Amino acid sequence: MMKYKYVGQPYNRPDAISKVTGKAVYLDDVRLPDMLHTAVLRPQFAHALILSVETSEAEKCPGVVKVVTGKDCKFRYGDNIKDLQPMAVTKVRYIGDPVAAVIADTAAHARAALDKIKVEYKPLPVYTDARDAMAKDAALIHEDMDDYWRLPTLKQASGTNIANTYHLVKGRGEEGFDEADVIIEEEFNYPLGSCAAIEPHGTIVWFKEDRTIEVWSTTICPFIIREDLAHSYDMPVSDVRVHTPDLGGCFGYKSDVTTEQTIAWIASFVPGRPVKWVGTREEDFTSTLLAHGIRTKMKMGAKKDGTLVAIKSIIYHTGGAYADTAVNVTIASTHNSTGPYEYKHCDLTGYTVYTNTPAVGAYRGYGHQESQIATERMMDLMARKLGMNPLEFRKKNFLSEGKVNAVGETMWKHNGNLLECANRVDKMVFGKPKPAEDDQFVYGRAMVTVMKSPKGAPFSTKGCYMKMNNDGSVNINMGGAEVGQGLRTVIKQVAAEALKIPPEQIRIYTEIDTQYSPYEWQTIGSMFTTQGGRAIIRAADKLIASLKSTAAQVLKTDVDYLEYDGEFVFLQNDPTIRVAVADLARGYITSDGITIGELAQSVSDARLPRYSNPDKNGQGSIGVSYTMGSQAVDLKIEKKTGKVIINHFYSVFDVGQVINPLQIRGSVLGGVLMSIGAALTEEVVFDKEGRITNPHLFKYHIPTYKEAPEQTIEFVETPDPIGPFGARGIGEHSVIGAAPAILNAIYDAIGVDLFEIPVTPDKVKAALEARKELK
Amino acid sequence: MAERMTFTINGKEQTVDYEPEMMLLDLLREVLNLTGTKHGCDNSTCGTCTVVMDGKAIKSCNTPAAKAAGTSILTVEGLAKGMELHPIQKAISESGAVQCGFCTPGIVMELYGLLEANPDANEVEMTNALNKHLCRCTGYEPIRDGALIAQKMIKETRK
Ligand code: FES
Ligand code: FES
Repeated sequence: MMKYKYVGQPYNRPDAISKVTGKAVYLDDVRLPDMLHTAVLRPQFAHALILSVETSEAEKCPGVVKVVTGKDCKFRYGDNIKDLQPMAVTKVRYIGDPVAAVIADTAAHARAALDKIKVEYKPLPVYTDARDAMAKDAALIHEDMDDYWRLPTLKQASGTNIANTYHLVKGRGEEGFDEADVIIEEEFNYPLGSCAAIEPHGTIVWFKEDRTIEVWSTTICPFIIREDLAHSYDMPVSDVRVHTPDLGGCFGYKSDVTTEQTIAWIASFVPGRPVKWVGTREEDFTSTLLAHGIRTKMKMGAKKDGTLVAIKSIIYHTGGAYADTAVNVTIASTHNSTGPYEYKHCDLTGYTVYTNTPAVGAYRGYGHQESQIATERMMDLMARKLGMNPLEFRKKNFLSEGKVNAVGETMWKHNGNLLECANRVDKMVFGKPKPAEDDQFVYGRAMVTVMKSPKGAPFSTKGCYMKMNNDGSVNINMGGAEVGQGLRTVIKQVAAEALKIPPEQIRIYTEIDTQYSPYEWQTIGSMFTTQGGRAIIRAADKLIASLKSTAAQVLKTDVDYLEYDGEFVFLQNDPTIRVAVADLARGYITSDGITIGELAQSVSDARLPRYSNPDKNGQGSIGVSYTMGSQAVDLKIEKKTGKVIINHFYSVFDVGQVINPLQIRGSVLGGVLMSIGAALTEEVVFDKEGRITNPHLFKYHIPTYKEAPEQTIEFVETPDPIGPFGARGIGEHSVIGAAPAILNAIYDAIGVDLFEIPVTPDKVKAALEARKELK
Repeated sequence: MAERMTFTINGKEQTVDYEPEMMLLDLLREVLNLTGTKHGCDNSTCGTCTVVMDGKAIKSCNTPAAKAAGTSILTVEGLAKGMELHPIQKAISESGAVQCGFCTPGIVMELYGLLEANPDANEVEMTNALNKHLCRCTGYEPIRDGALIAQKMIKETRK
């Protein structure tokens, strides 16, 4: 096995010190000269026409500078479907829709004046679930949907609430079920949730007198925001400058455009002064992006010998009031509903449906856990029906080398050794006997196998600027957003390896500023290590080539006779004839003061190799890089209360190459706990009127310290030829297995099949009752 | 009408004007520009706003600013001595306990309140203290590791 010097070591993150000293600057910590504050009015109804907005009383309140409404807003925005407006104009479509805003000298004054705005509404029917909004006679949430610009690959169903229908056919599609001996069909639900990062969203927008716009936002896609605002306000992209300060977690919902257009609209009424908005926790739930909201109806067909032949999935996605961000989640969820298995025939449909709930956007896992909860439960149900061991049944159908996945990509060895992952997890979880049921508890265990693809786009590029200083140290500037995942550490280690210099000589950028940072599409899809890493290696190669070309002039030789070792450029056949890298960094300065050669600096970028849009049957090449793995749970159920207690959670992923063992463990630890939260407690709940009943962290319960189980985490390393030094993405994969593993383990414990999460104590208690009846 | 009070902040006595309805968190962040203390929720659930008042870790988001009069408040900015980090900061920064870091200042101050008063805090005390803090990134294990290392370091300096 190839050994690396810096890759694979547990280096500490460069931003750890600023974060433990309280000096890291997050959005709410940004203070600007003459800054104003804004608070946004949200409606009392989740679906209603706006009859009138009366602002005069609010305008008289202390500290108030201006009250803003959506009146006269002419533009729509959105990157997939332009169905969004910065502020409601004629109607509100969900409970967090911005209706009006107060700009004042302090946030407290702005909030206090909100009450004084009077709005008259005419309520309309409210739908909080895709199924209801799809009903034949349902009122339309977007009457003018047909007029919206959308990507040419998207297709709305006119006269309905269906914003897009995605359809994939492989082989003979549904007809392929005629080859199956056994067919099962079930429906599953992964309800609406929230990323619930501990830092809420916030945005500052400043329309400046020099006709530029400057923005600070809790965003991982400053370049998209820049392009969007430039488009909306009809300015050159170069005149919009967006900063991403330190981010207090993202997990998906700080991608895409979330609150920026609304705050920009508000700030456009007070040109010359920066306007700051920081969401309350409640607004973070009601007025930014939610997650999941996916029901999966799945039909699976297999031969008697356990060979899967056909799958049919229908994804009903409660997309929210605006579908721009949900539509790609639906698509990813649909074509990945196969899990890591091969089927000759696939018929997969995904409906993105408008509902009167906050828009759904990205959440770590991006559609995969939402449909693979179905796949992994179905695998256990099918194995039971076939009388096979669930793992043996899975193994028979793994997407291993040479197999073809649903979108038509042939899998290669480098897609990872799922078999090894599964075997290891199997040993871990089933290696010792299960405790027998006692008075207090009943015990269950189960394992699952999962996969995740990147969700790319045609221009999903990551750029890298590298410059060497006159002491041989290096500064690296990229557009990747550090949300906590530790990408700066990864950059440092990959660059050190590529440049053959110690990480201590490399300094990584601390903020993204579109004025200085190289372009990056957005930091999503577990793609940074793979693509960003490739960009770093390309930049390093160019920088070394430039050093060599200067050295060739100094040493009076051809470039191809030269070697580079991080410290010197030297003659291959006589290393004593050499020049120090530090002496080449600014070009080489001769003793008589003449400078030879060029500055040692480089620019590069990298993207998903051969990404293309799928054809009309959903067949294409979407990623190349998949990461697969296996997860398992060991749990007990408290019989008195129905509470599910996770004893131990196991994960093994084939990540190609571990870059930083400390960070990668941290990433999986956190991802697993998030998904345990989703499986056991987290659900954004709506009443009939479309109001969220639990928009607070004491009601929307995310796992606490005491609830974190012990975890065993291991990695298989089958090098990936594309990623840097063999590495693959792993940022999201850890969240996929928990929900189905827990449901399968509940069956193992009590013999009752559950089909939706969260499995709250009351549901488990009901299942315990059902078990008694079964007995 | 603004009111006036005197208190000690990070070792320095200071007199400030504040609005009567203000919470300590707003006083620290908005009046004194001590932005290391974070604001993560509306209902005293997340723990990011934790500071130490007269040696005890408290939530500054539900402590009225007026309560600070005459007390001594320590925030995350007051822990390091110049370039030298407090052992808790050192341990937490090296154990993998920091990802996005938004929960970090609150956790650091919680541990300060716990371990400065009681370096021998047992597992239950430690668990109860850390359970007051939400972290969405780390799965808590590295925070526990950091807390235990910090405890060891503090004990050693006390020997
Ligand atoms: S801000 Fe969340 S507990 Fe104080
Ligand atoms: S490190 Fe992100 S919330 Fe704890």
